[in-house]
Amino acid sequence: MKKSFLTIVALVAITVSSFAQKQVSSKTHMKFFSTTPAEDIEANNYKAVSTLDTSTGDLVFSVPMQSFEFEKALMQEHFNSKKFLNTKANPKAKLKAKIINLGNVKFNTDGSYTANVEGDLTINGVTKPIKEKVTFKIEGEKINLTSKFNLTLADYEVAFKKGKPSTNIAKTVEVTVEANF
Amino acid sequence: MSITKKIVIGLGIVIIIIGIIGAMMFFKPQRDVQNTKTDFSYQASEIVNEYLTDSNKANNKYLDEEGNSKVLEIEGLVAKISEDFNNQKVILLKSATDKAGVSCTFTQDTNEHTLNIKTGDKITVKGVIRSGAAFDADLDMYENVILEKCDIISK
Repeated sequence: MKKSFLTIVALVAITVSSFAQKQVSSKTHMKFFSTTPAEDIEANNYKAVSTLDTSTGDLVFSVPMQSFEFEKALMQEHFNSKKFLNTKANPKAKLKAKIINLGNVKFNTDGSYTANVEGDLTINGVTKPIKEKVTFKIEGEKINLTSKFNLTLADYEVAFKKGKPSTNIAKTVEVTVEANF
Repeated sequence: MSITKKIVIGLGIVIIIIGIIGAMMFFKPQRDVQNTKTDFSYQASEIVNEYLTDSNKANNKYLDEEGNSKVLEIEGLVAKISEDFNNQKVILLKSATDKAGVSCTFTQDTNEHTLNIKTGDKITVKGVIRSGAAFDADLDMYENVILEKCDIISK
């Protein structure tokens, strides 16, 4: 009797763990784009790691900030510096969010779904609430996530007070995110 | 030559020099990691454990304020080979008993050096460190040490 009970417990445990639908993505792309009359600046990052729990809607992104790659070395140095994103002190940015309309996103049915995501975004050591739309494309076992939104740099205490960067970097930058789970 | 003329020529030269220095700074090319001297050589397990023991101390040691962080040579076992959205090869060096590994991203120029590498091989990779290993409670998993601009040093 005791043995069969243990077997049932084990079976239940296995079933539950196989239902915990946590997906991990290390194939990601993040881009930010800033445009001013002076110049357009773009930076790309392919090293973020993300987890998506399709049963709870939890969505997390961890972004290594020094992996943002610019066309010009000088811009990259400015970006990393204390005056800007201080990446030595804050090497990672983090999104910790939840899909709030999880019922509308059918992870087990092929198609394209718009999810409303709400949570906290931490950049430069500053955490702010964020609410954005995310598109999920489901194809078989594959989940593709894309999103595009704007960030106001001042919200994250990222601001050049004077000099060339203050005129050449937009106050609001466009962020594009893609991830394959 | 009059004194005014000398001053004008002198000023002109100074302005040109400032202009050249400015242009050199502005158009400074990206750092050539492979032609930069290696700062540290480790086994994959060593750098992972150093980060898991004290990540603040390790960040201080390896990360640079302007992003020109330390250049490392890491020896380890190939656990996984993949490709990122930029068509760059990514090789994970990790031993089965370690909690995290070293994720090495190659470049368009060095991609082809990975073609005959397979999982289980013991290789040494050189690259620049971007971030360290850590347990992330939100992801609920260990994150790898990240190296980029990598190339194979030996296999």
